[in-house]
Amino acid sequence: MGSGIEASGVRRTFGDVVAVADVDITVPPAQVTALVGPNGAGKTTLLLVLATLLSPDAGSIRVAGYNPVVDPVEVRAHIGWMPDVFGTYDTLTSREVLEFTAAAYRIPKRQRARRAWELLALVHLDEYAESPVHVLSRGQKQRLGLARALVHDPPVLLLDEPAAGLDPRSRIELRGLLRALAAQGCAVLVSSHVLSELETTADRVVFVDRGRSVSAQALAELPGAAERRPWRVRSLDPDALMVFLDHHGTEHGRPDAHGVEVLLQGDEAAAELLAAMIRDGVPVVSFAPAGSSLEAAYLAMTEDRS
Amino acid sequence: MTNGAGTRSGFTLIGMLNVAAHEFRLRIRAGRWRWLLGTWFVTLLVLTALLRSALVSSGQTMPGTDMFGGLMLFMLALALLVVPSLTAQSVNGDRIRGVLATLQTTLLTPAEIALGKLVAAWGTAVVFLLTAVPLALWCVAEGGSAVRVAVGLGVAAVVLGVICAIAQCLSALFARTTTSAVMSYVVVFALAIGTVVAFALGMVLTQTTETRESADGVRYEYTESHPERVWWLLAPNPFVIVADAAPRAPTDANADTVMRLDPLGAIGEVARSMRQPEPQEVLPDGSVRGNEAPVWPFGLAIHVVVGVTAVIITARRLRAPYGTISKSVRVA
Repeated sequence: MGSGIEASGVRRTFGDVVAVADVDITVPPAQVTALVGPNGAGKTTLLLVLATLLSPDAGSIRVAGYNPVVDPVEVRAHIGWMPDVFGTYDTLTSREVLEFTAAAYRIPKRQRARRAWELLALVHLDEYAESPVHVLSRGQKQRLGLARALVHDPPVLLLDEPAAGLDPRSRIELRGLLRALAAQGCAVLVSSHVLSELETTADRVVFVDRGRSVSAQALAELPGAAERRPWRVRSLDPDALMVFLDHHGTEHGRPDAHGVEVLLQGDEAAAELLAAMIRDGVPVVSFAPAGSSLEAAYLAMTEDRS
Repeated sequence: MTNGAGTRSGFTLIGMLNVAAHEFRLRIRAGRWRWLLGTWFVTLLVLTALLRSALVSSGQTMPGTDMFGGLMLFMLALALLVVPSLTAQSVNGDRIRGVLATLQTTLLTPAEIALGKLVAAWGTAVVFLLTAVPLALWCVAEGGSAVRVAVGLGVAAVVLGVICAIAQCLSALFARTTTSAVMSYVVVFALAIGTVVAFALGMVLTQTTETRESADGVRYEYTESHPERVWWLLAPNPFVIVADAAPRAPTDANADTVMRLDPLGAIGEVARSMRQPEPQEVLPDGSVRGNEAPVWPFGLAIHVVVGVTAVIITARRLRAPYGTISKSVRVA
C-alpha cells in the first residue's frame, strides 16, 4: 500500500510496431511525476499497460505493490485511470455517471450519492450535476473524467493528458487538485505536452522518446540552474537597455515587443546582470528565464530528431 | 487511502444487475422507443385483425387458435429482424465510443459486464414481446388456448435471448460494428432459412435407391427419402422450435368441415413428421400416426448451448490485460 509505481524494462509491441521498447519508471507516493515525450513516444501505451488494459511483452511492473498481469483486480482497486480520449454516456447526467462508476467499484449503494456530490464539488461541476453529459464543454467533460478516476479514492492516479482542453482557470485548479492529492500521499503520474504547466505541478519528470525512457529526474535537478540558457529582459527604455547590453558585453538577440533575449551562464550570472542593470539606471520591468527549464530539457532531449 | 472501494470478489449478481440497469437506462434514453413500440404494436394489431376477418369469413366460429398461430409466426419473424440490432454493436460500439475501457478498469468482472449487457438487451426484446400480450389475449378471447399462448411467447423469449447473446458475441469478436451487424443478420438468416435449405439438401443426399421387382416380374427403381436421418438440421430453426414447443391446439368439433389455417401447428406437425421413417400414416385429423417425438427440445437445447457459449466467449474477450490484439482495435 502506498508504494506507488515501480516498473523497469517495460516493453510492448503491436505486431511489428514497437510502441514501448524499454521504459523504466518510478512514481513515488506523495509526489506528482510527469511523463513527458513527443507524440508517438509510447506514453499512452505505457499508461494502458499500467492501467491493466494491455499486458507487457517484457519488464517487471508493480503498481501499488501488485503485478498488473497477475493481479489486475488488485491493481484496479488501487488506481484511478483517466484516458486521453474517453467517451461518456452522453444521455446520463454527471451525477449518474459518477454513481454508476461508484457502483462499478462496488461502493455500497447508500454511499454512492454522497460520493458523487463530493466529487462534483471537488471538480466544480455541482451546478451541472443534473445536466446530461452532452451539454458539458470539453473542459467540463475532462473534469468529470477526473472525478470519475477519483471515485474510489485510489492511492495511485494515472492521468493521460488531463490538461487537454482545459481553460486557464481549470488548469490552475487542476494543478491545485493534483498537488492536494499528492499531499495526501497519492502517487500521481501525469502525461502532458503542456510543459509550462508541468513545471509548476510536477515534482519529478520522466522523459520518454521512441519508446524508451531517456531520463528520470527531480525537477529541482533539471539542468538550467547552472547552465548557459536564454533569459528575457524587458525595459521601459529599450534603447537604454540595448546600449547597456552592448556596453556590458552580454550576448543578446534582436529586441522585439517582448523585450530582448540574453544568453547567460547560470543563475549567478543572471543575478549579477540584473544588479548591474539596476545600478546603471536601466528601467527593467521584467527579467526571467526564457522558456522553462523543463522546456529546455525537453528540447535538448528531442533535438537529435531529424 | 482506499476506504471507498468495497470488497473485491468475483462474479456477483448485484454487479451484473448494476450493469444491466445502467445499460437499460442508456437504451431507454437513446432510442425513440415510444415510436418503435407503437409501430410494432400497430403492425401486429393490423395483422391480427386481418387474420381474424379472414378466418371468420372462411367459416370459423372460434378463430382464436389460428389467429394466434399467424400472429406468433409473424411476430417471431419481425422480432428476428429487430433483435440482432439490439446487441450487434454492444461491445465494439462501446469500445469505439471510448466507454468500454473505463468499465474494464473498474472492479466489474468481464462476466458481470457481458451478462449485464445481455440482460438489458434481452429485457428490451422481451418488452417487444410483452407489447403483443394484449393481442395474444384477444386470440385467447376468440377461443385460443392460454397455455399455448404462454408457451409460445415464453419459448420465443428464450430464442430471442439466444439471438441477443450471439449478436453480442459477434460484437466482441469483430472490431468493426458494421462487420458484427452484418454477421448477426447472416446468423439469423442461417437459422431461419439456412436450416431449411440444409435439411432439403440433406434429404436429397440421404435418398436411397434400390431396384425392386413387382409381383408380375417388372423391375423398377424405388427411391426412398429418409428425413428421419436429417430432421435434426431443422431443429435449430427458431420457427420450428416455437411452433413445435407450443402445445397442439385441440381439434374443435367442426374440424372436418372447416379448413384449418394454423401455421404454427402446421410447422410443428411437419417438423415432427420428419422424425418418422416413411411410409407415414396420416390420421383423419391431419396428424401423423406415431408422431409423438418432439423436435423442439433438441432445437432449444442447441440454442441454449450456443447462447451460453456466446456469453462465455464474450466474457473472455472482455478480459484485460490484453496480450495480442487485432490491428484495428484501439483499446482505449
